[in-house]
This record gives sequence, C-alpha cells and structure tokens, in this order.
Amino acid sequence: MTPQAPGYLPSALRVFDMSTGEMLWSRRTIFMALIVGAPVLIALVVRLVFALGAPSPTVNGTVMAGPAIFGLMIWIFYLRFIVPVLGVFYGTSLIADEVEDKTITYLFSRPIPRGSVLLGKYLAYLACTVFVVLPSVIIVYLCITPVRGSLGGSFIDLVKDLVLLGIGLAAYGAVFAFIGAKFKRPLLIGLIFVFGWEQAALAFPGYMKQFTVAYYLQALVPHAMPNDGIISLVQSIFRETPSLSVSLFALAVIVVGFLALAAAVVERREYVLEQ
Amino acid sequence: MTKKTRYFLAGSAAIIVAGLTTGLIAFKLGGPALFASRTGPAELSYVPADAGVVAFANVREVMDSELRQQLKQALPVADHANGQKEFQEETGIDIEHDIDHVVAAMTSVGPNDAHGLVVARGRFNNTQLETLARNHGGVVEDYKGKRLVTVTEHHDGSSDSSNVRGVHSITLAFLESGLVGIGSEDAIKTAIDAQLSAHSITSNDEMMELVSQIDSGNNAWAVGRFDAIANHAKLPQDIQSRIPAVKTFAVMAHIDGGLSGTVRAEARDDQSAENLRQVINGLLALGRMQGQNDPKVAAMMQSLQTSGTGKTVAVSFAVPAELLQMMAKAHHAEER
Repeated sequence: MTPQAPGYLPSALRVFDMSTGEMLWSRRTIFMALIVGAPVLIALVVRLVFALGAPSPTVNGTVMAGPAIFGLMIWIFYLRFIVPVLGVFYGTSLIADEVEDKTITYLFSRPIPRGSVLLGKYLAYLACTVFVVLPSVIIVYLCITPVRGSLGGSFIDLVKDLVLLGIGLAAYGAVFAFIGAKFKRPLLIGLIFVFGWEQAALAFPGYMKQFTVAYYLQALVPHAMPNDGIISLVQSIFRETPSLSVSLFALAVIVVGFLALAAAVVERREYVLEQ
Repeated sequence: MTKKTRYFLAGSAAIIVAGLTTGLIAFKLGGPALFASRTGPAELSYVPADAGVVAFANVREVMDSELRQQLKQALPVADHANGQKEFQEETGIDIEHDIDHVVAAMTSVGPNDAHGLVVARGRFNNTQLETLARNHGGVVEDYKGKRLVTVTEHHDGSSDSSNVRGVHSITLAFLESGLVGIGSEDAIKTAIDAQLSAHSITSNDEMMELVSQIDSGNNAWAVGRFDAIANHAKLPQDIQSRIPAVKTFAVMAHIDGGLSGTVRAEARDDQSAENLRQVINGLLALGRMQGQNDPKVAAMMQSLQTSGTGKTVAVSFAVPAELLQMMAKAHHAEER
C-alpha cells in the first residue's frame, strides 16, 4: 500500500526545514549581513561619540535626541532600503536559484504540490530575513535611544517598528516571489519596482500610489518621515496616509494574493533547464 | 535543518527576546531612572512628575564666572557683602562657595494653589540650619526617613491655628548628605514620595524631552508647560485668550564672560509658530528702531536673533560683559 503523499502545509514545512539552512549559509547572506550590519555599526559609533562627550546634533535648531535618531534610521536604512532590497534579492531567487542550479527537477519530482515548494521557500526566506533584520533593529534601539532619551519611552515605537518591518519583509517577499516565478530577469524588474516605480508613484498625487507596497507600509510607521532629499520632500507634500485597518488589510491581501499567484505560476509553468 | 542553523535562529530569537524584555522592563518601571544616559541633574528625581516648570542653575559656575567677578568689581559691594555675611552667620551657608547647584520646580494641585520647591546641592551645616528653623518656631518631623523642619507662619500675625486661611508653611528638608530642599510642606513631601517611588519628572517624557534639548554648555535653564505659568500669573481673560497657542517653553543661559542664551517655545501648530515668529520679529524691529539713540539698547537689540522652523520658535541673545556692566552701573546710579 503506497503511503499517502504529504499535505500542502506539511510539504511546505519540510521544504522550509530543508531550505532555511541553504538560504542562511549562502553567499547572498554575506550581502545581507553587510547591509544589516551597517546601521548597527553606525549606532555603535554614534553611542561611542556621545559617550565621549560630543554635543548632540541639531537639525534646524532642534537637538536630535536618541529616539529621533532611531526613527530616522528606521526610515532611511530599514524601511527604504534594507527591507525592499532583501525582498528583491531573496524573493526573486526563491525558484530562480533552483532553476539556475538545475536542482528544481528534484524538488518537482517529489510527490508534493509544487506550490508547497514555493511556500516552503518563502517561509525559509521569511525566517532568514526576520531573524537577521530584527536583532539588528534591537541592537540599534539599545544603543541609540538612551542618548538623551529613554528605552522605556521608545519601547512602544520599537514594537511597532519590529512588527512593520516583519510585515514589510513578508509583503515584499511575496511580491518578488511572484515576479521571480513569473518573469525572466526578475532581479532587474524588482529593482526597477522598488527604486523606480514606488518612488515615482509616491511622489505624484493620485491613486497610483495604491499600487505600491510602500504606501501601505509607511502608514504604519510611528516616526516622522524625514526630509532628506528632493524626492522625500515631494513625497511628503503629496503624502496621503491610509488608516491602520486599510493598511493592514491591504498588506494582508498583498501577501496572500501574490503568494497565491506565485504558487499558481509555479504549478502551471514548465521550467526548461538551460543545457 | 542543521544544528548550526538551529543555533543561529535560537541566538537571534534570544537577542530579540532580550531586547524586548529590556525595553518592557524600562517601559513598566518608567525607564529613564534605570536605563537612560543621565539627562539633567540627578536632583530631578526629587521633582514630582506633574511639575509644570523645572529650573536649574549651576550656582558654582555662575559665582566663579568672569562676568560675576567683573560685576563685583564694577559695583560697590558694601551692601551686598553685609547681606551675604548676615546670611552666612545665620545659616552657615557661604553663597559664593557652599552651593553647587540648585533645582527648582513649580508644582500645583490647582490654578490657585501653586507649590514651589527648591533643591540645593552643596555643603551645608545641617545642625545650624535646623537650629535656625527651630528658633523660628519650626517643628521637626521624620517623613519616610527624611528629616523635615516645618515653620508655620500666620499672615494675620495671629498664632491661632484654627485660622487656616492665613497659614503659610515652609519646610526645610535634609534629603541626603549635601542635599537640602525648601518649599511648602506638601511640595517637600511630594518630592520625597517622587524620589522613593521613581515617579518623578524623569518619568515624564514630555518634560524630559525638553530637558534633553538643553545644550550641555548652559549653566542655567528652565523648561515647562506654558499653561502652568499662564494659569498662575492670573492674567485677565482678555489677555489670556490672546496669548499665542504655546505648549511648552525652554529658557537656557550660559554665563561666563558675558551672558548668552536662548528662549525656545513650541507652539501647538505650525501656523501658531509662524504667527509668533512674525510677532517677535516685529517687536525686535520696533525695539531696534527705538533703541537707535541709546547705544546700550541698540547693542542689546542687535544681539537678539529669531530662529526655528515648524512648531518651534527660538530667540537667542548674547550680551557681552561690558554691556552688562554699563547697565548695572547705570541702574545703581539711578537707585542712588
């Protein structure tokens, strides 16, 4: 009597178990460590500088306290760069790497739904990125917020930041998992989406910004948006903030919707391995 | 999943949990007392959390400043020296050398019932101070391990303790070695409670943010809520309704060879701040116009500069020592 094939979720978890280590100890992780380590290094340097008695930086005559600097770092480093870039680099390669390494055949020859392979790899991506990015945020929080501020006073903001960064990784990962499954050159498309389409759509008035992930994600941020350039200034002028419930619902729809689409693409597509 | 991967994920999870736990403990315990880098003097732990105004003065630095030395030389010191000497003989405190810094606060339970509190760090003769208070009818009590001496005065001159309306009490408290507090009985007891329960001004994020914005080079400052002083000033309703919508204020000064400082206010919104900046610029222009004939006034007005964006309005000033000496001499001559 042939044993029953595992279900969708157990299959996904099995793929997750197998892929987490591969993803975590790949060369791509060196890149992730570098970009995630940069804000930690900056936080340590800033803390050291303040401990040695340097005066607080001022912006427009207002002294920047630790919590304000932490908020700026969340915006500039994590929200605008680290989260989308990790989503692009990891999300687009979930299936693409297996195709490139010609190992996808072994995965698809198993008696498990093809979509569960994608889901398992997505969960592995989420685990790898969450368990690298969030500790980095914690370290930055512990170093920076006590400078002319307090850990307790910024705790609620920290929790909100951790949740929204996790949601951001999930949302971008789902979008780029679909792009990686569907298109050729998904990395290029992903970078154009993040640094081209999203920036432009947020800067112009109208409904186009609703077709970005950043629009909903930035609505969850508890810190003030920095004006660090012309584009930021323009975006802040035309900034419309959706409500919390709308943002969370939209992000949930993005995660579930794009994962479903990616799974559907993987189920139907014939992957031709280049000889 | 290999063992290495499991250890890595467990380590990361441990960092996340440790960070969140640290933050949660700081949040529950009112944070700044345990985990913040020191913002403001340690004596802020005696200021109740609901204080409307908090002020600080580094008396040592001010007394040792070049400006004070120059003013002492420029002005006759006979009257001043006699007063200081008499004060020292009664209290044992040499104002020039024995007081390091003071923290003052205004707390109140209502608009008509302001309580003031002054906490001074320095070298004090506790016995002499207590004796002085007892000689003025002071009553000694022990409040949560701190020694208090309360002197009760009756405004109508009677000693009838049933006449509550005319009663005013001042309490001298020996808070720690080298730290004394003076204020109303309620204010002193509230201060002691604040320090013991860690529910002091250091747990008031709004006020501590104001304190944290004080540059470290200033040797005197005051911060607070504008409504706290507006209510106690008992301004007529007509005037009070016309005062700009200012939420908080901060005044800071640095006294060395001259006097420089900044007065900063935060308005309720950008429009109020812009209106306030325009009003101040207008007043400064008027002042400069009217002070053209008086070099002292002209020099003073030239040193005033407005700045600030968004909800912040700031006026900075820098008065050189020579100008202050001129003004002090002119004032002294007028008094004679």
